[in-house]
Amino acid sequence: MNIAASNVKMELSGNQILKGISLNVSNKEFIGIIGPNGSGKSTLLKCIYRVLKPTGGVVMMDGKSLDQYRVKETAKRLAVVSQHNYYNFEFSIEEIVLMGRAPHKKTMERDNPEDYRIVEECLKKVGMQNYRGRVFSTLSGGEQQRIILARALAQKTESLILDEPTNHLDIKYQLQLLDIVKNLGIMVIGAFHDLNIAAAYCDKIYALKAGQIVASGTPEEVITEELIKDLYEVDASISRDKYGMINITYHPLHIQREIAKDS
Amino acid sequence: MKRKPDFKNGVFHGKPVYVLAIILLIGVLILSILTAVTIGSVDLSVTDVYRVILYKIFGVGDPEIYGTGAMSDIVWFIRLPRILLATGVGMGLAVAGVVMQAIVKNPLADPYVLGISSGASLGATVAIFFGVNALLGSNAIGICAFIGAFCISLLVQMTANIGGRANSIRLLLAGTALSSVCSAFSNFIVFIAGEKNGIQTVTFWLMGSMAGAKWENIVVILPCVFLATLFFCSQYRILNMMLLGDEVSITLGTDLHRYRQLYLVVSSIVIGFVVYSAGIIGFVGLIIPHVVRMFFGTDHKRLLPISALSGSIFLIWADVACRVIIPKTEVPIGILVSMIGAPCFIYLLVKRSYGFGGERS
Repeated sequence: MNIAASNVKMELSGNQILKGISLNVSNKEFIGIIGPNGSGKSTLLKCIYRVLKPTGGVVMMDGKSLDQYRVKETAKRLAVVSQHNYYNFEFSIEEIVLMGRAPHKKTMERDNPEDYRIVEECLKKVGMQNYRGRVFSTLSGGEQQRIILARALAQKTESLILDEPTNHLDIKYQLQLLDIVKNLGIMVIGAFHDLNIAAAYCDKIYALKAGQIVASGTPEEVITEELIKDLYEVDASISRDKYGMINITYHPLHIQREIAKDS
Repeated sequence: MKRKPDFKNGVFHGKPVYVLAIILLIGVLILSILTAVTIGSVDLSVTDVYRVILYKIFGVGDPEIYGTGAMSDIVWFIRLPRILLATGVGMGLAVAGVVMQAIVKNPLADPYVLGISSGASLGATVAIFFGVNALLGSNAIGICAFIGAFCISLLVQMTANIGGRANSIRLLLAGTALSSVCSAFSNFIVFIAGEKNGIQTVTFWLMGSMAGAKWENIVVILPCVFLATLFFCSQYRILNMMLLGDEVSITLGTDLHRYRQLYLVVSSIVIGFVVYSAGIIGFVGLIIPHVVRMFFGTDHKRLLPISALSGSIFLIWADVACRVIIPKTEVPIGILVSMIGAPCFIYLLVKRSYGFGGERS
């Protein structure tokens, strides 16, 4: 499976949000998109998962433009876990996850035992199998996000989009969710705020600033002190721990004064 | 330890309970029809009532006693059509309520939320004050109301689609706006005409009544409502998705836009027929879906059929109550339903264990 964006432009109410983005993601890669608020991360992902239609350029899936696929076709190949999940009505966990089977169903087709088996299996994968009958809104943020992940898994797709899915989650659930995703061995495209997290999980990172890609490559290549300064206007130092993990330390103003005193 | 029942997503789960509930409700519905037909202002014996029905349907019994005469006419031309109409109207309102709540993604919606009732009243007002009876025959009010309701719901959709795709919020805003336009025009007509009789007719018509039930209407309305109910039952998956919103639905492979329009057209036909034959009856379409949700949850697979049956049963008994609550007088069903419905609704709101969506304490 391959997803490629070429020169994607997006204009929303007169503002040029994306100014010609090209990226190419192939089989089983874990791709991270980083960038400050308003840089266009979510907009880019929305163009890929078809909630927005780019005003210029094209997004291709396996060599064919997304427009040539029916939404049902793309939903069989691409699942989404996004940040906003507030529902006005009360659904049980099982009902929510079962909706992940919708792309595989014809209008009149009933849910069969196979669907329920897949629901069970997906709930197990996210460690929520004991919550089946619970009401979605009564779960904690981390649990809700895992249920949404289970719904995406129930779609049985070859690729997954994570639209800042770990916002509002504490570190345990952030790691837990991303560990589950990483272990799936499918293509993942995610937008991340936390650079440490992005560096720890991604095979390749695209850095976005004001609707343009300013850097791309492996985490080692992309996440540099200069880039962080450029993207976020923040001073940071980058080190490695003994396992080779990238560790970014941000320097708030009072530390910057200390540093200035030292030199 | 006794567990407190959790009304958030219903207390009854699992397929057996659901199937049992459906069978039970069908039983109750049939029993309700059979019991309601024996109740009325004229005192008829239970056996006589059934013998009239038996004669009319199967041709069993003495035609001299059961085929003609006052008793036969009361049962066959007044009571039975009324009850069957209540069955259809109740089902239509409950189903349309469920569907509207899904379409506008708002638990406080009812079948009339998108301006249908105001459109219907405008139609009825026009019919009453401009005397189109000559043109459309005896049920001119109903026909005009149907036209008004249907036109408004199309207009609401068109308005909501101007300058972008209609979503639930735009529909709701367009509905509210057009609804005030329609009431303003109806009031204007009433004010200008200043005719007492006309005002009384409009008021009475707006309160709703089953009294106008006729066989020729029922053979159209009942199948229509029934088919619409079956249609919506087959659409449960998409109705569920409507509650998750447009974005999530696209990622789940369904573009709701087209379906929303289709559902609106189907439900406005149903509501148009309901308004045509029974005037405007509030609260049924709001209360029934919520009560059913309390017991069976939000999933439309269960919610729709159970709401349909409960709506029918509820309206049959509401109509019976209208006929017997004050001797020799018939209380308009719209008034009675609101009298029962509003306190029920407040009770639900106060009882916080049922979330209604929204924020919880």
